[in-house]
Amino acid sequence: MRKYETFFIVDPDLPDEVNAVIDEKIKNVVSSNGGSVLDYSPWGKKKLAYPVQKRNRGHYVLMEYAGGPELVAELERNMRLDERILKFITVKLEDRFDPEKEAARRAAASPTAFTEEEGGKPLPIAGATEDADEEEVEDEEREEGENEEE
Amino acid sequence: MVIRRKRRTFHRRKVCRFCVDGELRIDYKDPKTLRYFVTERGKIVPRRISGNCAKHQRELTLAIKRARQIALLPFTTVQTI
Repeated sequence: MRKYETFFIVDPDLPDEVNAVIDEKIKNVVSSNGGSVLDYSPWGKKKLAYPVQKRNRGHYVLMEYAGGPELVAELERNMRLDERILKFITVKLEDRFDPEKEAARRAAASPTAFTEEEGGKPLPIAGATEDADEEEVEDEEREEGENEEE
Repeated sequence: MVIRRKRRTFHRRKVCRFCVDGELRIDYKDPKTLRYFVTERGKIVPRRISGNCAKHQRELTLAIKRARQIALLPFTTVQTI
């Protein structure tokens, strides 16, 4: 057993009932493939950094679960087929899932979530130059400064 | 006439803020923290600018790339078609 988390984006325009159906479906896939859902937390609607399937907003959901690699393959296959799920990413958290450690961690930690509509939009572009590039030039100048004419 | 100027040694010592601040975690789900380490265009800021240590820069790069995948950070802000 390994511990994974899958972070996925659901279509934001769906009514709550449909969202509940999706939640149920995802959890079902995990449990019917020998896994167990440890945490399932909707992070709320958030602006996307770039449009996905012509949508600018998305409903983010984070799910932590324990299971084998076959489960991940099956889960991702299901998500790919489901048109209501726009995007997903699965990250392995632990190679060996230890239920006792999990229980201890769960007792200590409190979940954090997005605040609605925050920080999703990239900053406005001021001029064509990158600030990183500018700083780089400065560095070089400083080094060459010794040989410069007054 | 060439006058040798004394080199201005006026740079701040850059420190890795993840080493200094134990509270600060690198997490791909936290775009607020990551945003500090990308330029306005969405490029990853190099280590020589940000002052991160190698270990944390590696983790950060991975986190930024993951955040891009899940649309928390932009790949670019200038879209050319």
